[in-house]
Parts: sequence; structure tokens; C-alpha cells
Amino acid sequence: MNIISSYSIKGGVGKTALAVNLAYALCESGHRTLLIDLDPQGAAAFYFRMGSAKKLRMQDTDALADGLRSNIRESDFPELDIIPSNLAYRNFDIVLDSMSKSRKRLRKVLEEFKPEYDAIVLDCPPNITLLSENVFRASDAIVVPVIPTVLSQRTLEQLTSFFHDEELPGDILRPFFSMVQKRNRMHRDIMAELPLSYPGFLKTVIPFSVDVEKMGLHRMPLLAYATKSEAALAYRALCNEILGKAVTQP
Amino acid sequence: MNEREQKNGFACLQLPDEPGLECLRSRWDLESWPLETRNLVFWDTFEWGVWFGGYLLYSCENLYQLTERLERWPGKPLYEEAAPESRRFWQEFETGPLRKALRDLLGLRGLTAVAEGSFRRQLHDLRNEAGKVICRLELRSVSELKPEKMLLQVCQVLPLRGYETEAREVTACLTGAGAAPCEQNPVDLLLQKSGNLPHRYTLRPDFGLEKATPAREAIGTIVRTMLAVVHANLPGILHDLDTEFLHDYRICLRKIRSLLSLVKGVYPAADIQQIRATLGDLARQTNRLRDLDVYLLAREEYLGLVPPVFRPALSSMFDDFLTERETEVRNVIALHASSAFQQLLHEVSEFFAEEISHSTSPAAELPVGPLVFARIYRRYRKICKIAAGITVSTPDAGIHQLRIECKKLRYLMEFFNELIPGDVPTLLQKQLRRLQGRLGEFNDASVQQSSLLDYRERHTPGPEVALGLGGLISILYQRQQQSRTLIGQSLDEFCSASTAAIFKRTFNIPASLIKTDHYRQADQ
Repeated sequence: MNIISSYSIKGGVGKTALAVNLAYALCESGHRTLLIDLDPQGAAAFYFRMGSAKKLRMQDTDALADGLRSNIRESDFPELDIIPSNLAYRNFDIVLDSMSKSRKRLRKVLEEFKPEYDAIVLDCPPNITLLSENVFRASDAIVVPVIPTVLSQRTLEQLTSFFHDEELPGDILRPFFSMVQKRNRMHRDIMAELPLSYPGFLKTVIPFSVDVEKMGLHRMPLLAYATKSEAALAYRALCNEILGKAVTQP
Repeated sequence: MNEREQKNGFACLQLPDEPGLECLRSRWDLESWPLETRNLVFWDTFEWGVWFGGYLLYSCENLYQLTERLERWPGKPLYEEAAPESRRFWQEFETGPLRKALRDLLGLRGLTAVAEGSFRRQLHDLRNEAGKVICRLELRSVSELKPEKMLLQVCQVLPLRGYETEAREVTACLTGAGAAPCEQNPVDLLLQKSGNLPHRYTLRPDFGLEKATPAREAIGTIVRTMLAVVHANLPGILHDLDTEFLHDYRICLRKIRSLLSLVKGVYPAADIQQIRATLGDLARQTNRLRDLDVYLLAREEYLGLVPPVFRPALSSMFDDFLTERETEVRNVIALHASSAFQQLLHEVSEFFAEEISHSTSPAAELPVGPLVFARIYRRYRKICKIAAGITVSTPDAGIHQLRIECKKLRYLMEFFNELIPGDVPTLLQKQLRRLQGRLGEFNDASVQQSSLLDYRERHTPGPEVALGLGGLISILYQRQQQSRTLIGQSLDEFCSASTAAIFKRTFNIPASLIKTDHYRQADQ
């Protein structure tokens, strides 16, 4: 089972769009997929026309696993299930903090879903907390959307330093360029240089697209309503690249 | 509930034609998927091998599919093969698993179409105010084709995980509008409409006899039942559907003839002699066709017996048999379609009709149990007597005689199986079957050798075919000799003191119970 997290310290970089479309692309390629919306804002579930999750009992690992399981909801698309978010997830850190081995709890909980799913996608809130650290220790890949701007570059450096300081495996970090505007010179310059410093940098680029912006109107993954758009093709290519398949950049 | 219904916890509902799904629209948006329509032809054999094997075989637009029968609605096939819809025997299928499955289900039997119908399937999504699908419905229907008429329409609620409450609300809404759990099976309905209902076919039916049943009544019942099997096989012979119709027809004639010879004194002797002669004539007229069937069914086995170099030449002999079979089939069909044949069979049937009374005979009113048991025991002792005289040098004719006696005993035990107490029939019949199997092998090898020699006489084959024939005859001769040794072993078992004791205990009627000499007289 692959656990893939969509994560960024910075908000508004296309993180939820990545989680939603990556989950959809994984299903398209035959993976039974569970998308867990860990962001209390609940945007991922919104894109699947779902309300928020029932409140969870989170006193220990078993209760948390049971609570998550009882919140699994089938999406409109085959083999794609969602655990919507709940405002109570803002307390995840406090709950995890009260558990022993608090940095590895999430992995143990997610292991419970192995028999049912081939892939789990986590849509993470934009911060570095105990929950984030759990996500880092639970994931096989941390996919980080990076808008080719100086600020995004800085947050990526912060994340890398954190991994270094906490002795986390840096090779699971998979940044990629998101919301790219080819005509923007600064974008082009940063895209030429930044990947050189990050061996795990994904080659696939997600362009800025009005189609992606319209996900809020359609309330479904871009891949479901603009299946052959440039951005949709890019998300599929990104999915293949993450899964280690040969990539042809659209 | 079937497996699928149990899995999702929602029963399949039979929908009234009106209002169908309309009752749901006031609460949810109903979105329909494309309608799928398939006209299916269902195939099975005379013995319903596919059905009783637990499967359904159907074809649609030159695609054969095999599914499990419990599925009720033909769904995901276990195996499939694209092929013109004219396949009859399992050998005509090519794909490994389908061919293998059909080999086991069909045996030597041929497929015929048993039902035809139009199956429609459509999925519907129910969406809530946010536009989220909260439940799916699978609507299915089956219709007769000519004239087109819907026989059944059902709806399966397909709950979505996390939306079970909504699925229960949908179910309640449908049942409120007249939907009810459906136990009907669409294929059953089609079969009913086509008049082809699956039934167990057997050459060894139960006759509902009791030991005290008067002999004539018992024999009449048996003959009438066997004649019904004869009639049931005639259409298959007339259409040459497979070899087993003729085979079973001949077995029935032989068994009736044998029964009539074994229970003398139950009907007037002259009449019985006449009927036995008629049945014998009818069977004899199909001898050559049956011989050819036997050869052709064993074609691959025979070719496998000789070295590869002889096979092409020997294969031409089988081609000759095939050509000859075509002529024989025409002859047999013409014979069985003739009014003369129908008249003969009618006369036999009428003789044994329930309402016909015949003049009295010495054993007519004797209770059939003791009468038959005495004859079974007598037949067994006769076999043991013949067996005692069998040596390595006994001529083939002697072995053949033993085989005939064994066959008579087996028929008697089969006909009156239901009167024999406890496990005795199984045990004795097992031993008898083993012995008969070996006697049969011996006889087949012997008959086939003469038949091959006869072919050589009639066709004067070229040197290569002659060599192949020689090789085959040698192998058959060796088989015959091996069978002789095995027959000896089986005879030792069948005539052993322990088996004899069982026969005596079960079938020997104490003299005190035999009130008259009729039992003995009737058996002379």
C-alpha cells in the first residue's frame, strides 16, 4: 500500500487540488484509493460534495482507527473512498501528544486500512505540527506543490531543514512545480535552478489553469470533468511519476 | 436473499410497472445511465448437464458465456468464448477453461437452445441536494421475445459506503410504492414460458414398487416407465443431436426385453414372445449405427494406440466410418419416422397400457418381491456355476455367455433396487459392476477385432492402412488377454463365500414362504 501525502507549509499552492486529482488518477490506474482530508477546512471533501465527518473519539490508536473507519464514505467514483474532515481535527496535535510514541501513531492507524486499499492519499493542513510530523513518518512520499516564486522556494528550504534536523528521510520529499505560468519570467528562472538542489524534484509540471479553478463550481476532480485538459493530463503524468512509471510530460 | 443481496444487506425488489422509480423523484434527483439490452439464448443438453452442474450457458451476438446459476441474473461470466452460435459439443469450443468446464458438464451430450429472452439492465444514481450520489439502483428486466412481453422487473438497491441510512430511506420509499422482495428467477420464467423445464433424466428410475405389489402390476409399471424413456429419446434420434439418444434408446429396448424374459409367467407367454421379437427387431436395425458411433467416439483413443507413423493411414478408416455413419443416420431416421415403426411401438405400448386386461397367467398375481428375489438368487447361482467352469482356455463364446448372464442379473437388481433392503444393493452392484466392466472390456476387444478384420475384408485397404490395422488388432488382442486375467480376479470376488452369503441372506426365499409351485414353475 502506498501512502502519499499532499503537503506544504504554505497555503494556496494547489495542495488540495493535488490531493483530489491524485486520488482520482490513482483510481483511474486501478488502485483502490482512500483520500483522508486532514485539513479542518474540509476542502477536499467539499470537492466530492460531501459534508464534514462525524466527530471522532481519539483517546487511543484503536479508537482513532475505528472512528476514521466509521467515517469512510464512498465517492461518486468507483474504488475511491473519502474520509471527510471535521473541525475537531484541529485538536489532532493535542490528542497525538497525549499518546506514547506520539510521532508514529498515524502510521499505525493507517496500517489498519491496508487490506482494503492499495493507496492512501492524505490532504494535510498547511503548517508544521505534531500531526505533520506524524504524516512525515507515515508517508511513502510527501508530494509538495511549489509555485515557482521566492516565497515558495523559502518554505521548501524550511521543510528540507526540518527533515534534516529531525533526521527524517529526505528522499521521500517529492516537490513539483504547481500553478506554473510559462510566460512568467520569474517562474521560468526559478524552474531552471531550483530542481538542481533537490534530487527528488518531480519533472512533471502542473500549469496554472482556469479549469483547476473551476473545481469549486463543478465540485468534482478536474480529471472527472475536463478529462483531456492540459492540467488533467499533467496530473495523470504526475501520478505516474510518483508511482515510478516512465513519464512523458504533456 | 442471494449472495450479492446478503453482501450489501438489501433485498432485490420486484417493481410494479407503474410508478416504477418515479416515486423517488420527489426526494432525490434521479440520473439514469445508458440502458443495456442483450438478447440471450440459453443452451443445455437433454440431461440438463449445465443446469444441474450449477451453471447457465448462454450466447449473445456470437459470444458464449458460462455463469453460476445462483447468480440468478446473468452477470459476470466465469468463462466466455467468441464463437458462432451453432456449437453443439464441448470439443467444438477452443478456449481452455470454458472447454474444460463444458467437457465435465456435457460429456457426450450435445447442446440445444432451451430458452431465449431479452435482458435489460440500467443503473440509476440518486443524488442529494449537494449533487452527491447517495444511492445507486440497478434496474433489471427480462422479456419474452416472440411476442415481446416483460416477465419480470426488479430493482436492486446498491448502497454507497457511509450512506446506508439514505439507502434504507430509498428502500422504504420503493416498498411504500408497491415494491416487494423478489424471489423469482428470470431464467426460470423463460424456461417455463418455453415449456422446457429442467428435470432429472435417468435410465434407472424409481417405479414406486412394494414387495407385495402383484407381479403383473409391477412389471406393467416398469415397462410403461421404460417405454416413456424410449419415447423421450426418439426426437434426439430423429434430429441426430448426439449419440446418447440412440444409445439410451437401445438400452431401454434391451432392458425391457430382458425383463420380459426374466419374469416368465406374468403375462401370456405367446404375447411376450411376440413383443420381445418386435423389440429385438427394432434394436437390431440400429446395430450398425451404434457400432459406428462407438468407433468414432473412440477415434482419438484408437489412434493413440498405434505409433504416429500409422495414424494418418488409420485415420482414413475412421473417415470411411464417418461417411458410412451419414448413410446409417439417414436410414435410422427414415425408419423411426415411418408409420410402420410408430405402429409397432404403439402396439407394444398398448399391450402394457394400464387399462388393458390380459388373460391370466400363473405368476400374474404373485407378490413381486419374493418372485423376483427367487429369480435374482437363482441367476446368481447360475453365474457362480458358469464361473467355476471358466479357465484360461475357455473360448470367447463362453465368456460372452457369462457376460449375458451377468447383464440379466444386473438388470433385475436395478429394476427392483427399491425392494432390496439396506446397503446390500450398493455393495453387490459395485462388485457386479466391476465384473461387468471387465467382461465388457473383454467383449469389446473381441468384437472390435472381428470388426476390424471385417473392414479389411470389405475395403481391401492399402499397405499402410493394413499395417495400422494389424497393429491395432494386436493391441486389442493383448487387451483382451489382460481382461481375461482381471475377469478371473473379479469372479473370485463375486463368487466368494462372503458375497454368496449376502446373496443367500438377502434373496433366498425360505421354502416355507413359497406357498405354491408357481414361483418355480414360472421360472422354468
